[in-house]
Formats: sequence, C-alpha cells, structure tokens
Amino acid sequence: MLSAELQFGGFDGARWGNLLSLFSPAETVGEDLLLVVDEQDVVLGALLRGAGRYPALLGQTLPPSLPTLCAQLGVRRALVLRDGAMEELAERMGAAIDTTDDYVTQLLTTLRVARELVSEDRILVWPDPLGAIPLPSPGAVRRVLDLILPDERAAVIALWTPPEPGASARTRRLWTAFVCRRREGAIDLIAGPEMLESWVGPLGGDWRRDYRVLCDAVERRVAPVHVGIFGEATTIARLLQEGSAGAWAQQVAVRNVVISPMPGPVVAALGADAIRGVGRASARTLGGIDFAKLLMPLALKARTRLTSNRAVGEILGFDPLAVLAAILRRKTPEEDTPPDD
Amino acid sequence: MGPLDPQNAPVLEGASLRLGRKRLPLRSGAMHYWRNPRDQWRAALTQLKGLGLPMVETYVPWGVHERPEGGFDFGETDPRKDLSAFLTLAAELDLYVFLRPGPHINAELTYFGLPERVVRDAEIQARTPRGNPVTLYFPPRMFPVPSHASEAYFEAIGDWYGQLAPVVAPHVWPNGPVVMLQIDNEAGYFFRNGPFCQDYHPDAISAWHTFLETRHGSLETAGTRHGRDYSAWPDAQPPRGWDVGKDLGQDGAIDPHRALCRQLDWAKFQEHLLTRAVDRMKRQWFLVAPPVPTVHNLSLGDGGLPASPPAMAEAVDLVGFDYYHAAGSDCDALRTIKRRTLYLSGTFGSGYAPELGVGAPPWFTPLSSNDSITCALAAMAYGLRGFNLYMAVDRDRWYGAPIDAQGAARPEADEWRRLLDALEALEFETLERPARVALLWPREYARLSRATHLLGLASPANLEAMNVDPTAACRPDTFGFEEPIQWAWWQLLATFADALTAANVPYVFVDSEVSAERLKSFDVVFAPTYEFTEAGRWSRLVEAAASGTHVVYGPQRPTLDDRLEPLDAAVGTAPLGDPVSVGSQHAVHALVHEWIERFGLERPYPALVVDTAVHRRGKAERSEASHVPGTGFGGRAPKEHRDGDRDAVLFVVNEGPARNAQLTLPAERDWTRLRDALTGEVFAEDPSMTRLTLPMTAQHVRLLVMETDADAAADTSAAETDHA
Repeated sequence: MLSAELQFGGFDGARWGNLLSLFSPAETVGEDLLLVVDEQDVVLGALLRGAGRYPALLGQTLPPSLPTLCAQLGVRRALVLRDGAMEELAERMGAAIDTTDDYVTQLLTTLRVARELVSEDRILVWPDPLGAIPLPSPGAVRRVLDLILPDERAAVIALWTPPEPGASARTRRLWTAFVCRRREGAIDLIAGPEMLESWVGPLGGDWRRDYRVLCDAVERRVAPVHVGIFGEATTIARLLQEGSAGAWAQQVAVRNVVISPMPGPVVAALGADAIRGVGRASARTLGGIDFAKLLMPLALKARTRLTSNRAVGEILGFDPLAVLAAILRRKTPEEDTPPDD
Repeated sequence: MGPLDPQNAPVLEGASLRLGRKRLPLRSGAMHYWRNPRDQWRAALTQLKGLGLPMVETYVPWGVHERPEGGFDFGETDPRKDLSAFLTLAAELDLYVFLRPGPHINAELTYFGLPERVVRDAEIQARTPRGNPVTLYFPPRMFPVPSHASEAYFEAIGDWYGQLAPVVAPHVWPNGPVVMLQIDNEAGYFFRNGPFCQDYHPDAISAWHTFLETRHGSLETAGTRHGRDYSAWPDAQPPRGWDVGKDLGQDGAIDPHRALCRQLDWAKFQEHLLTRAVDRMKRQWFLVAPPVPTVHNLSLGDGGLPASPPAMAEAVDLVGFDYYHAAGSDCDALRTIKRRTLYLSGTFGSGYAPELGVGAPPWFTPLSSNDSITCALAAMAYGLRGFNLYMAVDRDRWYGAPIDAQGAARPEADEWRRLLDALEALEFETLERPARVALLWPREYARLSRATHLLGLASPANLEAMNVDPTAACRPDTFGFEEPIQWAWWQLLATFADALTAANVPYVFVDSEVSAERLKSFDVVFAPTYEFTEAGRWSRLVEAAASGTHVVYGPQRPTLDDRLEPLDAAVGTAPLGDPVSVGSQHAVHALVHEWIERFGLERPYPALVVDTAVHRRGKAERSEASHVPGTGFGGRAPKEHRDGDRDAVLFVVNEGPARNAQLTLPAERDWTRLRDALTGEVFAEDPSMTRLTLPMTAQHVRLLVMETDADAAADTSAAETDHA
C-alpha cells in the first residue's frame, strides 16, 4: 500500500512543517517509563522519557501492578521488557518479514511479532494501546483504503493562509497542500504545494473558487480527484484540534470548509458528525430535546449502505447538513452564506 | 581511465583542498543529478554556485544506474543518468565536484541505493545471531542489509566500481572537476547496531577469528582470556547475547572478567569490521580510478556507534559527522551538536560535516529552515570548518532545500547566501578556536557501554540520535569494580564539560585512540580512568605527560588492560602521579579553577548563561604539534597572508529561552565593532564599552564578525561601488 517507487516532493520546510502541525498530537501530560527486568523481575534498566536513567528503580523488584507503579511514579504509561526481548524481536522480525511485501504489510508483520512477545509476557505494556483489538490483515487494510482512495484516484488537501487586512486577495498563497495518488494498489505519489502551484499557475485569491482550479489541475496531472478538502488553515487547524461534536459538519454547512468531491465514507462520517452536532444544538435551542438520539437509527442504516458514492440525503434519508445549517441560521444569521455549488 | 599520477592529485590541507596553487575551502552543496530533469541541471547548478558554494556534491547510485535486466545506463537510455554530462556541466560552470559513489548511499532510495538483486542475495545479507537476515525498517520498503564482511558483496562492489570508474576518471582533477570522493556512507551497520544485532555472516565469523588471532596472539591465548576451551577456530564463536555471569550449562558460569573480555572483544571487533570494510572499498576504487582525497561520514549517534573515527581516519583521509538536529527549537539538540563538534575538532584538529542537513526526508524528525541554519551556526561555533549542505537542491523524498527542484531559489536561500558570503570573506576555513584543555574520550569504556546495552536494536547510537545519553540503558553490574564504569565515564565527562563551560574555558574532547603527538598539543588533558584501560592509550598518556602536558586522570589507577589482563608494568605511571578525586561536582570545579590558575588559561569573552566561542586568525600556541598522522585534519592550512593572532569571529550560543546575554569584552581589542553576519546588526561600536548586552531569541546562535575601521571603510567603498 506504499509503493517502492514512491515519489515525494514539492514541499519547502515551512509548508511541510505546516502540514505536520495539523496532525501533531496535543501536549501530553506525564512521562513515559521504560523498564528492563530479568527473569526474577528485578529491574536492570530504567529510563524516564525526558529525564534519562532513573536509578531509584534499579535492583527493585517489579511491582505486580503496572497501573499502580505508574500512579506511584506519576507517569502516564509504562513499557516493561524482559531482558533479551528486543533481541528476540529482532530475530523474529528477520525471520518473518517478507522483503517482497509492501511496507504496510511489513509493518503489520512487525506488530504481529511484537504482539507475540506481549502474549508471552516478554513485553508488558500499560496502558496497552491496541489491547484486545485484533490486528487487521493486509487485506482488511486494503479494503479500507479502497473505500477512502480507490486505485487511479487522487486525494487533495489544500489550505490557504487567512486574509490579511488590506492585502490583495491575489497575494494569498497556499499555507500547505497535499496530493496523494493510489496506483496499482499502492500510494505512489505525495506532492506538496510547490508542485501543485506549478501545475495551476497563479490563482485568483478566492479559495472558494480556486479549489476547482486545483482539482482540475490534479485531474490533469495526477488522477481524477476522489476526495478533496479545502479551506483556510486556521479553520482546519481548529477543527482538527478541537474536534467537538458537529464542528466539521457545521463548517461544511456554512462553507468555511469545502469537501469536494465527497465520497460515501466521508458523507457518512460528516453525517454522523452532523447528527452529533444537531443533537448538541437542538438540546441547547429546543429545551433539551436531543435529536441525535432520534436520528441515530438512521445513521446506523447509513452504515449498511456504504457501497458507493451517494448523495448524503440518499444514504441517510435526510440531509443532516441542511438540518444543521437551518439550526445555525436561527442561531447565527451572519453565517448564513448559501452554498454556490 | 586517466593516468594514475599521485603528483597531480588534490591534497587535503586542514579544511581545504590544495589544487596546485589554489586553495579550495571544503564547502559544497548536494544535488542529485538523476532526480532532476536534465534541462534543469544548469539552473540548479547556477543557483547552487550563486549561494556561494564552490563545489557540488552528488551521490552516484548503483541501483539507479544498474539495469534490472543487466548492464548499466549512464545516460544512454535515460538522459538524467548521464553522469559524464553532469560532471562536464559542473566544470563548465566552474564548480568542483565531491563524488559519493557508495556502494551504500541511503539518499532515501529504496534499498538505500543498492540494486535489488544485491539486497536479495543471501550470500550478501548480514546475519543475526540465529542466522536470520537483518532487516532495516525504513520506508518505503523494509529490506535485508548487506554484510560488511561478505566476500560476495565486495565482489559485487568491485564490479560496480569497475563500471563506474571509466565514466568518472576523465573528470578527475586536474583533467576535470572531481576533487574529492566519499567511500561508502554512514558505516554503522545500517542503523541496526545494537550489541548483538549483527554480524554473524560466515565471512564475518572468519574475520572475527583473524581479529582474535591478532589481538591475543593465538587461539589458545584467546581461549584462556575468554575462559573457554578453544581447540579449533570454529570453537571461537562470538557472543550471541549477554552471557556475563550467566550459567552456561555444563561449563557453569565463566569467570566474569573472562566472559567480559569476550564481550569487549566483540564490541571492538564491530568497530574493526567497519574500518576494514571501508578500507577495502577504498582500495577497490583506487584499483580502477585516479587518486583523490577520500572521506567517510558517520551518522548521528556517534557517541554510541560501533565505529572508531580515529581508526576510520587510518582508512580514509577525512572523517566527519553528519548533522541533522532540531537546533532551533531544542536545547538538547544544541548540547549534542556541541559535544559532537568538540569531539571532531579535538580529535582531528577541526571538524567536517559531509552532510550538514538543510531540510530532511519526510520520515525523519521535522526540521525547519531555522533548525538547519541554527545547527550550522552552532556546529561552526565549536569548530566545524567545512561542510556539505545536504541538500542544496531539492529532490524526491526530501523537503526544505534552499533551491527548489526546478532550480529556483527559495526565500531561505538568502540567509544561506549571507552566511556563505561571510564565511568566504572571513576565510573561515583557516580560523582556529583555541582550546588548551582536552577531555579524553575513553573508547574502551564506550565499548563496555555498548556491550552492556539492554535495548537491543534500540541501540546506544539510536538513543543518542534522539539526544538521549547513549549509556542510559546499560546494565547496572559493577563486574567487581568500584562502580558501573559503563555509565560513570559519561557522567564524569559531562561534569567536567559543565565545569569548563561554567568557567568559560574553551575545551575539546579528544578520542583516546589519537596519537601521543596530538595529546601533547594540549596544556591539560583529563582522562577518565577506572580499574582497566586500553594499554596503548595509557602509554600515550604517559608519553604526553613525560613531555610536559599536564595529564590528570581518575577516579581510579588502572591495574588491568582492556583484555582484563594485568597492565604492562613496564609502561609505568610515574609521570602521571596519583589519580585525582572527582567524586563530586565541587571537586571537579576546584580542579578546573586550579588549572586556570596554574596554566593561566584564557577565558575569552566570558558570559553568563550563554556560551561564547571566539575564533582567531593566526598561529595558536602549540598548534604545530596538532597533526594527526593518517588524517588530513590537524595540520594547519597554509595561508599566504597571515595577519598574526587576531580575534576574527565571536559566536554566542543561547541554548535556553529568549533573554539578554551579558558579555564581557576585552578592554583592549583589535576590532572596532561586532557585526551579526546574518542580520547585519552592529554592536559594541563604543571602544570604552566592556559590557555588552546582546538580545538573544530562544535557541539562538549569533555569528559576530569582528570588524576594524579598515573593514568598515572597505564596506562603505563596496556599497558606493554597488550604488554607482
């Protein structure tokens, strides 16, 4: 699913940093603890992320409860390795990884090997991020990717810098952008804003119109666009960081974010988000009646019908974005900007 | 192939190349010809030269030139692969060329630039303790890494060099622009360098036997020292895991020092195997191509790498470190840069970076433009004299180079141009950062740290690459010694480094494997020393002490060598005296202040909170003795016009948050103002000023050029000429 011939380019340092900043995790509280213990559970090595060696634990016997240990030390998670576990991991990886497999399959194989060691108590993790979740097979991952980005299609994200007071719209540039293409089952191209700009030439400055030009260029130079997300950087950054119920659907409804084209899985995700948002808004404006609960059966119905790109109304039987927009209109009339699509 | 005439070869002199009567500073920028459309080569190279770089560097990717169906394409089919045309164009544009033909190049290529048939060849693959391939986990495809011992690998390399040499040879200086060559790349077992990751390839086992015979004299002696009964060489197997103090079945537990000797031998052998491989590749190249100075680069994490830079410098002319640090946002990164560069400048006289990161691959720690330039400035502050900007021209699987893939300058190119202009004007490659105190980097204890590492493939080198102490995950055993040496030495060096920094005394780290001559070039050498030591370094310290260098060691007097046999009594310790007490920070600070008093150690431009580093033009004390045999560094770069000793540049390094730095300036000085080379700000124009308040942003390095009235007049004149 990641081509050995992967092409990546078109990013300057700032705009690559901008892209990563959208997905950087929120500041975490607490440290990570790494312990190495012998067969008798005596601590041979102890490292605290951010502080290095943690000598106080050396020679101690590992307490039976990792959560208790973490609470005592004020750390948020712990990884315990039996002496030699890393060497065993390396051996099993060397034996198990098929070098003709693609990278995602190789990663899944590595995770499977690591999980073997967890099941043999050679590695202990708390909290276990994967827990009882079964590892997906490469085929399952491929099927998910088929839904999100079918073969010979492209996905586009393009975000613009917010307008500066007094500045011409034409001076607005892409804050960051990301184009990827799937070919022969694998992602084979990741292109950044410089590449995108070289394909389209000068833009008009109104991103609600320019996004169509971008889509046309990507279709010409890369592949037909399967999904595109467009908006101002501040809007998308806020949505990714806050992620409150209905926030995405609200921004799509008032066209602060344009998703175009909008494939079925995105419709469903937005629909579910809109339903949560409608619930929240209606609870606030209608004296506590939560429409989300009323609408949830419809969302479940939608999940069973996700076999093709359909209009949101067709899948859900109603248009949650329209409902949400109507509620928002009552709340914030200044945001009532009719879509021009 | 051109005539093999060593008389005409370029000569490495300090941080410059001597090309006949011309001196070429080691400043270059990387561009990968095969990744850029042919019609954009000229624009990109012109921009590269316009940055102020006199030399272009490029890899030559074996796996790209070799056709899968057999044969090679050097432009016959794909014009982007026309290496000869690229070299011709460089010459036309008056650019010199630093060539890096591998075999391994990484360059974010799938299989690190090796042909797929090579990495799939079972005879070439490195082996784990149980004989499995050693898998490297980098995207976009994990692959089995080659063995640095495999005869089949060397045979394949010989074929590659044989194909490439006829293309390169006509372009070697003086007939063409190629003036320097890198052999292989980042020799470090392909980042899989935990103590028992590799290499158990049959050819590596053979090399291990030869190594043991050289080290111990005979199979029998090796067996005795390992505490094992070796009746034939196949019995002398390398350790496949940590076994000191473990019950090994019918043999019971081996005497811990015997078992430890075998582990230390293995750690030393891992260094030896890499040096041997690079040396062999170099010989293979020069069988078929004209001579040029050779380089090798070591990756991040050198403090935990199974590689000895001084030993590597016996194989090639110049050894450097690669720099990729988030220096503009991480104080730990700045400290790591300082440690690494002080090691290079202490061990080799000055530092060289075959890869000074500008941008990064997408799967690496994100680096901003500010990170890159701050990293460059910090490294120069502590003694980096030459570098290759990697990448100068953007390319596939990279971001952030100052010139984009179409050959147009990006906005950040301006800052690099200002810096490079300043370096050119300063003749930066000829400056010196005087340091009269050296802290010895004890390679035998570094080996013990690697051998006792607990995290396998998350190796000490990988930890250090993340700015973590590479000794942080060592076993806690003392092995009958006073304390766990495997981490005590690192902490002790850090304590001395902090004390010297606090006292504003310039210092360097010097590898314990350097010559006695190098040690003699310092006034004071501190050597962390415990119950065992490498006999050679001990005798070199004794020799340096006998010739007048103040050698201080401690906390222990050694009684054993690094095979854990009694130290040769003939070497003696008389010139060294007794070990010093270094059991507390107070004791270390007291020692440092004793040195300051006793040797009149200079504390130039002292500052509180920030670090300062002054670089001088002219002859520093004792520098004539600083040449390291077998390396290009350490000697002085001949310079036609010396101004005599004179302060030329002051670096100010702020590791912490934004603040005003308070510097003390000398009352008598031979400059009239300080000018920031990047921002153009001018400071300290008042000659009576002896206290300077300097605004510093967080994680900020300033390069302050010390200008005279004559410089100012020349600037004004130049500005008027430009204006006219």
